[in-house]
Amino acid sequence: MMQNAIHIDDLSYHHDGAETPAISQVSLNVGAGERVALLGPSGAGKTTLLTLLDGRLRDWQGRVSVLGVPFQPSRALPLARRTDTGFIFQEFALVERSTVVRNVLNGRLGRMPGWRALLGTSSREDIEIARSALADCGIADLADRRVDSLSGGQRQRVAIARCLAQDPQLILADEPVSNLDPARAAEILTLLTRAAQARGATTVFSSHQPELARRFADRVIGMRNGRIVFDVPARDLTEDATSALYDDTDQTPGVRLKVVV
Amino acid sequence: MRARDQGGFWVGALIAAVVLWSLITTEVELSRLLSAGPRIADFLGRMFPPDPTIMEEIWKGSAETLRIAILGTVGAVILSIPLGILASDTMVSPTLHRPVRTLLAFIRAIPLLLVAMLMVGAVGLGPLPGIIAVAFHATGMLAKFYAEAIDGVGRAPIAALESAGAGPMLRLRHAIWPQMAPVVARDTIFRFELNLRESLILGIVGAGGIGFYIQTYVRSFQYDKAASVTIAVVMMVIAIEAINVAIRRRTS
Repeated sequence: MMQNAIHIDDLSYHHDGAETPAISQVSLNVGAGERVALLGPSGAGKTTLLTLLDGRLRDWQGRVSVLGVPFQPSRALPLARRTDTGFIFQEFALVERSTVVRNVLNGRLGRMPGWRALLGTSSREDIEIARSALADCGIADLADRRVDSLSGGQRQRVAIARCLAQDPQLILADEPVSNLDPARAAEILTLLTRAAQARGATTVFSSHQPELARRFADRVIGMRNGRIVFDVPARDLTEDATSALYDDTDQTPGVRLKVVV
Repeated sequence: MRARDQGGFWVGALIAAVVLWSLITTEVELSRLLSAGPRIADFLGRMFPPDPTIMEEIWKGSAETLRIAILGTVGAVILSIPLGILASDTMVSPTLHRPVRTLLAFIRAIPLLLVAMLMVGAVGLGPLPGIIAVAFHATGMLAKFYAEAIDGVGRAPIAALESAGAGPMLRLRHAIWPQMAPVVARDTIFRFELNLRESLILGIVGAGGIGFYIQTYVRSFQYDKAASVTIAVVMMVIAIEAINVAIRRRTS
């Protein structure tokens, strides 16, 4: 039996002061090495689910364990436990005024000895890892450039390099390409999924574009209003299933507007 | 409309009452007010021409004022780093940063000259009480600025480092500091300029610097020398302003 990278049982989460739950009664297993796409409109709970799996949320209900580590519902995951899970943000989340290589080295901080991390004197090994992550992302030549001089596609490559330098077993990517044009989006997802596969890492990325989900994942999970609507192998993803995610007729019965021409 | 007119009337009446109260209780003698003109003219006459022979004292006093401002600013920066961190919403919980912010507001509320007088009483005459007073007084503002600089940076890189397992100090060092550095530089230069300006008069209460000579010459009725020092102070203030404008132009 394949070991689970992610195990979720009856998970629910409310944002502070929100009326409806961001996630309600989600149960899910993701096997080690799988490539999973979370598909759904904004507000479906994709970001919340990924942030929770990254160990940054607390006060949820249910059972969650990631890479064999059970999470405590009452508190965020201890920092020392977060190094094995890498996270890629929609808006890149880079330090704009720092160089590319500094940003990539930031991914190593959790694995460096405390004093070395604080002083920012990276070891030769750390720098080697950062450089090879940059090479894997095709931007070795940008190492000494400042991030604020880069394009969007280049920035997301830096963010992926930072994640790879962290040497993660699980990569969570929150809408990693929705800020990029279609050609750049396909490039970045190719890069990300190849790098993850080469390292044997499990990947979960969210998207609101069905064609990207179908093309870059083995398995597609449809989410809507905090619930899992479907969970299918990517090749079985149908038009009907995806259009049901974005169709808003059943959400508010009786108030659908009639368009008068 | 009518309520508004009435409000205007009461505000006017209150202002009139306050001015009247000040006039009556200060016992301004009209005769003195009338003779003040010639007296001031006489006083200004005695300041002229300014005595140019005290250049040495002016240089000495100016250099000491500069040293007080430099060391006072260094002291304020050293105090403001930990206090700025403790006053920031990003780094500590409200239960800690609220009392620290209140403390900083209290420090800001105490005038520099008052702190300097107290410090002269505590450590004696000379530049040392001036340096301590400037460091203390400037910390109230600088620590607040540093805290605001910490809280003003982009949050996303902080979350990214947290996700990678970096603790609060590492996030401060590698995600917050690179973003806030230009703000810190600008605020510190601004505070140094204020420190230099404010320490020009510290000598009046015996806390060192060029202000000492103003006090000495006025008390001994050497108004021509006092005039020279006053001109030197005005020129220094203009020079500080000019340098600051040049720095701002270069960094903006």
